[in-house]
Amino acid sequence: MNNSKIVSELEKVVGEKYVSAQPEIQFLYHYDFITAEPEGKCDIAIIPNSAEEVQEIVKIANKYKTPVVPWVSGINFGSIATPRKGGIVVDLRRLNRVIEVNEDDMYAVIEGGVTWADLKGYLEKNHPDLRAGITWSPPGTGVVPACLCYGMFDLGMLGGTGAEFINGMEVVLGSGDLIKVGSCSLSNYWYGRQPLPDLAGLFIGWEGTTGIVTKMAVKLWPKLPYRTTYLAIGAKMKFGVPVMLKLSKAGLGICDIYFVNLGWLQSVQELNEKDVIKDPVKNKMPDFFGLLTTQAYTEKQHKAQCEAIEAICTESKLRMRPTEETQAPIQLWGCWNFARGGGGQWIGSYCSTRDIVKYYEQSREICIKYGRPPQFYSRLMFGGHYCVARTNINFNKNDPNEIKIARKLLKEIHDVVQELDGVVMYKPPKWAVQTYHDKTLPATSDLIRKIKQLLDPNNIMNPGQGIGGD
Amino acid sequence: MEKEKKIEYIKEKGISKLVLEHENHKLERNKQLEHYEDVMYQCGKCGTCRTIFKEAGWERVCPSGEFGGFEAFYLGGKNLLTWGITSGQIKWTEYLAKIFYQCSVCLACTQQCQIPEIHHYAGEWLMAMREEAVRLGFGPMSEQKRYTEHIMKENNPYLEKHENRLDWLPSNIKQSPDAKLLYFVGCTTSYREQNVAIATAEILNSLQIEFKILKDEYCCGSPVYMTGQTQKAKKIAEKNIEIFKDSGIEKIITSCAGCYRTLKDTYPKKFGLDHGIEVIHLPEFLLDKLNSGTLKFNNQINMKITYHDPCHIGRHMGIYETPREILKKIPGIELVEMIRNRHNAWCCGSGGGVRSAFKDLSAFAANERIEEAKKTSAKAIVSCCPFCLNQFKTHIKNNEIKAFDISELVRKVI
Ligand SMILES: Cc1cc2nc3c(=O)[nH]c(=O)nc-3n(C[C@H](O)[C@H](O)[C@H](O)COP(=O)(O)OP(=O)(O)OC[C@H]3O[C@@H](n4cnc5c(N)ncnc54)[C@H](O)[C@@H]3O)c2cc1C
Ligand code: SF4
Ligand code: SF4
Repeated sequence: MNNSKIVSELEKVVGEKYVSAQPEIQFLYHYDFITAEPEGKCDIAIIPNSAEEVQEIVKIANKYKTPVVPWVSGINFGSIATPRKGGIVVDLRRLNRVIEVNEDDMYAVIEGGVTWADLKGYLEKNHPDLRAGITWSPPGTGVVPACLCYGMFDLGMLGGTGAEFINGMEVVLGSGDLIKVGSCSLSNYWYGRQPLPDLAGLFIGWEGTTGIVTKMAVKLWPKLPYRTTYLAIGAKMKFGVPVMLKLSKAGLGICDIYFVNLGWLQSVQELNEKDVIKDPVKNKMPDFFGLLTTQAYTEKQHKAQCEAIEAICTESKLRMRPTEETQAPIQLWGCWNFARGGGGQWIGSYCSTRDIVKYYEQSREICIKYGRPPQFYSRLMFGGHYCVARTNINFNKNDPNEIKIARKLLKEIHDVVQELDGVVMYKPPKWAVQTYHDKTLPATSDLIRKIKQLLDPNNIMNPGQGIGGD
Repeated sequence: MEKEKKIEYIKEKGISKLVLEHENHKLERNKQLEHYEDVMYQCGKCGTCRTIFKEAGWERVCPSGEFGGFEAFYLGGKNLLTWGITSGQIKWTEYLAKIFYQCSVCLACTQQCQIPEIHHYAGEWLMAMREEAVRLGFGPMSEQKRYTEHIMKENNPYLEKHENRLDWLPSNIKQSPDAKLLYFVGCTTSYREQNVAIATAEILNSLQIEFKILKDEYCCGSPVYMTGQTQKAKKIAEKNIEIFKDSGIEKIITSCAGCYRTLKDTYPKKFGLDHGIEVIHLPEFLLDKLNSGTLKFNNQINMKITYHDPCHIGRHMGIYETPREILKKIPGIELVEMIRNRHNAWCCGSGGGVRSAFKDLSAFAANERIEEAKKTSAKAIVSCCPFCLNQFKTHIKNNEIKAFDISELVRKVI
């Protein structure tokens, strides 16, 4: 690849200051700096300032058949923004504008590189009565990738996965063409994806391998005046989960509901992995912590909801009490750092709510076998229609041996939980993607490949990642 | 504010402290790079250090990153490049050194990071990397080399003559040759912001404080130390301490935030030169006198002002409220805050050698702060550091807003 020629063409698009082939700049894109996934290689980094510039970059990349990797902060826990085949990393951080907020239809139109800090800050200042669904990821991470990669927000019980928060998009395709998806393709409104064919699916779950989203409308929600968060504590996951499932289906104004084991709780309390008891269950410590938030428009309504929640818990003999709202979102310190070595990764999956306890118990056993405190977390989604289940591990990323062990441990958890019907990993690293192909019908895999080819004829979009490519 | 509950300011420690229940990793400060090599890679390049954490509309805080664009210019990038060096993944180059020098060491970033070790200690390895750059011949930057040479010859970084250092001193200022209290004026005040020196000396006179100013006052060494030239800065410190001792000094007042930090903190803690001289910053001295009733404000200034926290007394030394308390006591003054204040204050862009070596970055930072001050509808930005003051005065256009040192306002009302 003739870097200097490409660099000089790219410089004409964005200006000299925003293109770099310096090794020191590349270093910060070659690895995600959190996971145990292998390093990649960035040849050129570029920071465009508009959709038009993104189009020009993609056209140049096509001309030289060099990879293009869309990137916001590159810390998605699956290493899916790490350039696997070199090329140009398109760092979207200057596309950080909130373009419009429609209070009537409750959505925000944002650019492709808007971070949670950008969005939250904008709403706090300008639309304090509205809120976005928020991840626990750090404030510097991207809203658009979180939506595209089926992210999981604190309003997941109301809205589903991040993908379901998407109302519409403007996208630069792998060919360099610009398209719009949803009501915005026919009007000035970005209220939804209906009623045309829903092309959003061409970009959701593809890990940046079909196009670069330059604008997206995301749903916002009203802030209701009455809110209570409850904390439930139980001896074991298997006692607590059924109660939470019951609550999720009781229609009690619940906007978020999730539960964790003791290991996860300890990790977010800034404890050091080395100091905690590895197997709380064996040591007769409580191992189920459930949190749910209910909200209402009137005091009377709220009181009735709270009473019903408390009654269900009493009836089920689960201790639950109101607590300080812990869901005030965005980043619980640095949960990748439980082992104080800056390394963390998870096997995170969507799955049927039937299998939560099995998922936990199987991954728990493996963690304990490796001498690691199991860290488990599950969130019920979209009114309790499905859930997320996730097991985290931490390690010292400065120690090659620990990385090796972490990879083995992750693979083992992955292989075991995949055996549970319905478990599908989200943001999977490339080694885990093969499972999709193994499980889907050949014709489905074939269609996925054809779509990828159509949208990215030269296979330059984030090659080596996602389900569609090689 | 949610975060306030978790924060306390460590007196004279330089930075705020995240109060964590389990702080099991205590490091020493002012050490060389090796001392921190097992911590900086806890950084996840998460970008939290780019914006104010959970407060003030999540505003941006890092001048170097906002100007430089790429991640390398933010703290996360610098941490991981430092790890790259200590783990042998990357090599020292001129460009790498430039990345580390293109930073005002304002420490706004460390305040936001939620990893305790980085929150507390990142400032230490930002400085250690500069030291390393100097050791390997990649630092300091050429402009910084030039001013350092001048300091070694003429005791100031402004390419001025040493013999002109006291040109600002009016004949009406009364000094006491036998005083044990020294007013340490500093280079910026002596050569560029002489009003501050005059106001300070006049305030001391009006309080009938016995003090003196050294004929042989030298640069405190801050611009040399901040650019990684620790050994040279230490030599300057040794010379200064010798002069202080020979002159019988027991206490120093300084009106400069940089001199204050250097004399009070860097000399003993970094250079190991425990001079035993009490060092106080002018606002501390004034507040003490106000509280004891010795200092009285008899006049009035009818003006809306905003206060800019200098990094060297704010985040570096933990002083945020003292100047505000004085300003609030001045009759007629209405103090309004900028969005980014106290530990979240946006740096004026002059420190850490940036103003001499990276003029564009420096101007960018100053203009951003001036615009922020203008948004408060204040008529003036007030600070208590001559370097910040000079930076604002240089960059304010068309007299849209004024800039004062706290001493100038106090002088007007006594
Ligand atoms: C501590 C921690 C906690 C987390 N918690 C959560 C959580 O609670 N919920 C959750 O959902 N996620 C979570 N995440 C994962 C992730 O960081 C977030 O989802 C985040 O918002 C994704 O942003 P990013 O900037 O890291 O994406 P990146 O890594 O930059 O991108 C992710 C993928 O999207 C592609 N991409 C990026 N931008 C575009 C674009 N504009 N168009 C097309 N493709 C694009 C990339 O190529 C890549 O394949 C967490 C991460 C961390 C480190
Ligand atoms: S320094 Fe802290 S806040 Fe900044 S990227 Fe690293 S871990 Fe995140
Ligand atoms: S010290 Fe200041 S300029 Fe340097 S990285 Fe931190 S915030 Fe940016």
